[in-house]
Amino acid sequence: MNFVFTAGIFDWKIKKRNPSKRPKLKTGGPAMEWEADDGKEAAAVVVGLIEKATNSTKPDLDPRILKSIKSVVRHSDLELRLAVENLMSLMKRDHSQVRYLTLTIINELFMRSKLFRSLIVENLDQLLTLSVGFRRNQPLPAPPAIASKLRLKAIEFLERWNTTFGIHYRQLRLGYDYLKNTLRFQFPNLQANAARVQQERRERELRTKEILLKKYELLKSNLPSIKDEVKSIVDEIKECLDILQSSKEENLPLSPIDEEDFEEFRSIELRRIRDNSLKEADKVQENSENKVVFDALRELYKVLVTKHIVAVQESISVLIRVELSDNRLRDSMLKEFIDIRNQLKTIKNKCEEAGCALSIATDEEDIWEEGTSKTFDISKPVITQSKQSEDLSNKRNNSLKTNKVCDTDLDPLKSKLMGEAPVMKWGSFLDNWGSNREFMANQRGLEVEGHWGRVDHDAVIPANKIAELNIQATVYEEEHKEIQQCRAPLKKGGLCPRRDLKNCPFHGPIVARDEQGIPVNDSLENLSTEELVKQAVNNVRNRDKEAIKKREYDKKEMKRAKLAKVRGHNEAVLRDAAIASTSGSSFIGEVEREKESLAKMLKKKVSVKDRLGRRLLSRKATARHMNLGEDHAKYREAFPNQW
Amino acid sequence: MWKEIGDRQSGKLRPSSFITRIRSNRVSSLQLSNHKEIVSPHRGSINSLQVDLTEGRYLLSGAADASLAIYDIQRATDQEGGGLIAKHKPILHVDKQHQNGHKYAISTAIWYPVDTGLFVTGSYDHHINVWDTNSSQVVMDFKMPGKVHRTAMSALATSHMLIAAATEDVQVRLCDMASGAFSHTLSGHRDGVMAVEWSTCSEWVLMTGGCDGAIRFWDIRRAGCFAVLDQSHSQLGRRPPVLERSTTKVSTSKSSSPGQPSSSRSRPPPKKATSGSGGRVLRQAKGSAKQRLHPGLLSSQDRATAHYGAVIALKPTEDGMYLLSAGSDSRLRLWDIQSGCNTLVHFEIVRLQSNKAIQLAVTQDSALVFVPCMTSVKAFDVWSGKTSTTLQGHYEHVNCCWYNPHDQELFTGGNDRQILIWSPPKFISQDVDDEDNWSD
Repeated sequence: MNFVFTAGIFDWKIKKRNPSKRPKLKTGGPAMEWEADDGKEAAAVVVGLIEKATNSTKPDLDPRILKSIKSVVRHSDLELRLAVENLMSLMKRDHSQVRYLTLTIINELFMRSKLFRSLIVENLDQLLTLSVGFRRNQPLPAPPAIASKLRLKAIEFLERWNTTFGIHYRQLRLGYDYLKNTLRFQFPNLQANAARVQQERRERELRTKEILLKKYELLKSNLPSIKDEVKSIVDEIKECLDILQSSKEENLPLSPIDEEDFEEFRSIELRRIRDNSLKEADKVQENSENKVVFDALRELYKVLVTKHIVAVQESISVLIRVELSDNRLRDSMLKEFIDIRNQLKTIKNKCEEAGCALSIATDEEDIWEEGTSKTFDISKPVITQSKQSEDLSNKRNNSLKTNKVCDTDLDPLKSKLMGEAPVMKWGSFLDNWGSNREFMANQRGLEVEGHWGRVDHDAVIPANKIAELNIQATVYEEEHKEIQQCRAPLKKGGLCPRRDLKNCPFHGPIVARDEQGIPVNDSLENLSTEELVKQAVNNVRNRDKEAIKKREYDKKEMKRAKLAKVRGHNEAVLRDAAIASTSGSSFIGEVEREKESLAKMLKKKVSVKDRLGRRLLSRKATARHMNLGEDHAKYREAFPNQW
Repeated sequence: MWKEIGDRQSGKLRPSSFITRIRSNRVSSLQLSNHKEIVSPHRGSINSLQVDLTEGRYLLSGAADASLAIYDIQRATDQEGGGLIAKHKPILHVDKQHQNGHKYAISTAIWYPVDTGLFVTGSYDHHINVWDTNSSQVVMDFKMPGKVHRTAMSALATSHMLIAAATEDVQVRLCDMASGAFSHTLSGHRDGVMAVEWSTCSEWVLMTGGCDGAIRFWDIRRAGCFAVLDQSHSQLGRRPPVLERSTTKVSTSKSSSPGQPSSSRSRPPPKKATSGSGGRVLRQAKGSAKQRLHPGLLSSQDRATAHYGAVIALKPTEDGMYLLSAGSDSRLRLWDIQSGCNTLVHFEIVRLQSNKAIQLAVTQDSALVFVPCMTSVKAFDVWSGKTSTTLQGHYEHVNCCWYNPHDQELFTGGNDRQILIWSPPKFISQDVDDEDNWSD
């Protein structure tokens, strides 16, 4: 890409050095003439660049070419005029891709140059006709996919141009108005959309602000009560802790001994172990005496963690986010809350230090996780148990996980029964499982609870009838079975991923294969001697048959080879003739180049559907089909010369 | 420009020629006006446009959705874009909902030439209504035998108040506003009449163009038509050269038809019917028909055509000496009224809308004619037929145009429901923020 541009510049420089006797452009007056000569040379650059940029099958312009177009056009009005001419002529090409790329260039220049704008708007209706394709006698050219893209883009560009420059160009306003109000084209309405999004966001922010303000007011009024609550709970906890502390001081017989033996523990490790054990000893052990206190403490701790700390945290965040005109009150409140939070935290730490039992029971601050972890721990042994009963284990696993087995100590009988019991899927039949009750009935059918009407005590449905009605329905579930992959080695590398039951349509019967896809031949090992003998006989017979066959085949093959030779010769002769008639280079080169050319885009790609359609709808096929009908046979007898 | 003003100041240039120079300069540089815009309330194609002849201030438009509107083109009702765009909204808008409104498309809307208190509309619902502008009520109503294509009132008339109506019917009727009745029924056309115009030099002479391709001249004081224009009759005879530019044309047309005998009569028009083209008819109709016909009706036998196909527009020049006619054969012809000759000016028209009457406009000095050519309006030099400018702005076919000589502005209306104003460029550009914006 860049190469072309530089080549153009080079070209231009050479021409400048020895000015050739080219005819001057007739566009300018005397003032323009000095520029005309240079302009002519440069024009080749602009035109060439535009040609290069639009002659591409890619959906976007090459940014480097675009940039060079811009820089070339920027420096001379004459080049700009030529660019406009060239772009407009390119817009007339019968190829949507070219038009699309051209339109993109036009948009780029339109947003930048005033002169370009004034030149383009003069022919705006033509440009719109060619890009939007609103005139019925001038539809957009093939390929249709790009044509629709072109139309969308053109409409979008027109809207943007209109919003930016509409006020200066009546033509833009007219075109926009015509497409919008007369032809009712759907414009993307970018600006309005952006404005609406902005508006929505503003409203949302306003709403959150209001909510925050309300919360703040509530907090302000509730502040004394919150303080009181916190204070009371803190006091209670402190009392509890005090009680525990006082009870601890009574039984401290070990400490003096430890002090004496201090020197004997030399190694650091040992000392650390000892420290730990000392610390452990510091802690008050839960026993029957202080169990009540511990229970109370645990309760208080729970309330503290789940309610108060969370509430305080929330109110702090509210205070931080709220926007007020007067911040003094808020700041003081914030300070208070932070103090409260710190106080609560220290208390919480103390609680945690005080009782290890307590910290185990509530080691997660979130109460929800507590329950799940409990059930999970408990259900584990049950699963291992149930695995022994093999037939049901699969279903059991799923159901047991969801089952709420709350008892920690299952008695062996019950667990055994649980292991044997089948697991049923949930259904309405479970509502009356094992019940022997008779059901009331009314004219609508079964009696339902909450019935307000009159009740007929004789109209009952017997239990066995109900059982009949409530038969458990199950849906047959196929046993999931892994179907083996074919795993035959593929030409392009890798293994065949097809999963067929017995035969792969491409690679024959499915056999065990190793990593490379080579069949593992383990048939010999498994076969018995009888089978071996049988196979040997078969092999011999087959060989004989094959020999006979081969003889016949060889004859045919020789004939075929002869024919193929003749055909090959003929083809070679024809090819030589073709090459001789056209220029040899183009004949070879074209095949390669066609891969990515613009012309190829216009050609309809032959899809599978097309091929099938051609096959099915061909005259032969339809004729064959028609032959089947008796009517047709009669018809053909009557009118033998019609098809 | 400044040199001319200087010349005018020093007396080198006479005032009248100064004015014409300025005017022609301005007219030749017409472009789509960005600073003046008409907000069209119409929902159908604009069929007729006219600025009133007395003040040159009020534009009357009639549209295919049976609505009509009047705009003040001197004073804007709205400003937009910081005073950059002046919007002219209608000061009067009448549509189908109006109690006396037309039912079908309005094909023609013209001002009463004497003042702006009255205007006349003709419609496809067979009616011609005369409206009071101030009360926006119908004051008079004429029922016509067919769809009305065009109406015309004479700007010169001092002795009559006749509305000439071109309808689907073969007869041209003159509606008298004083009495509310048809005063004349002019028969002679063999098909519906598409175009009608009063002469700009005589208040009694009426020109009509029909779907049969004939252009007929009528003197309303006498019976029958006095002249039928023949496109093959192009011999000008010994007519004194009127303009220097047209003489060249005369000589070429002379050479093109040397076989014709030169008829050098400059008699009053009625007698011309017996000579020239009418003479041939007389020869054909000699015998039984001649005796029975009134001498004034003799020309009704004349089957000469001015166009192949219908005549869809007529426009006499300001001085009343020439007539421009457009036909559905996509030709524009310039006729010398005095002699009834085709001047054989070739106008470079590609194609004209052929199924509808159109409205031409001529500048005051008869230098340019504006012709709606499909989606564009083309300005042709009247004497050479060369295209002067092509005004491209409408997105669908243009139906009508009106040239306002006061401001040298052109108004055009088309099927895209827009009324566009074409005006000379402003000298002081107000585009402040419309500048180059190169980022790289």
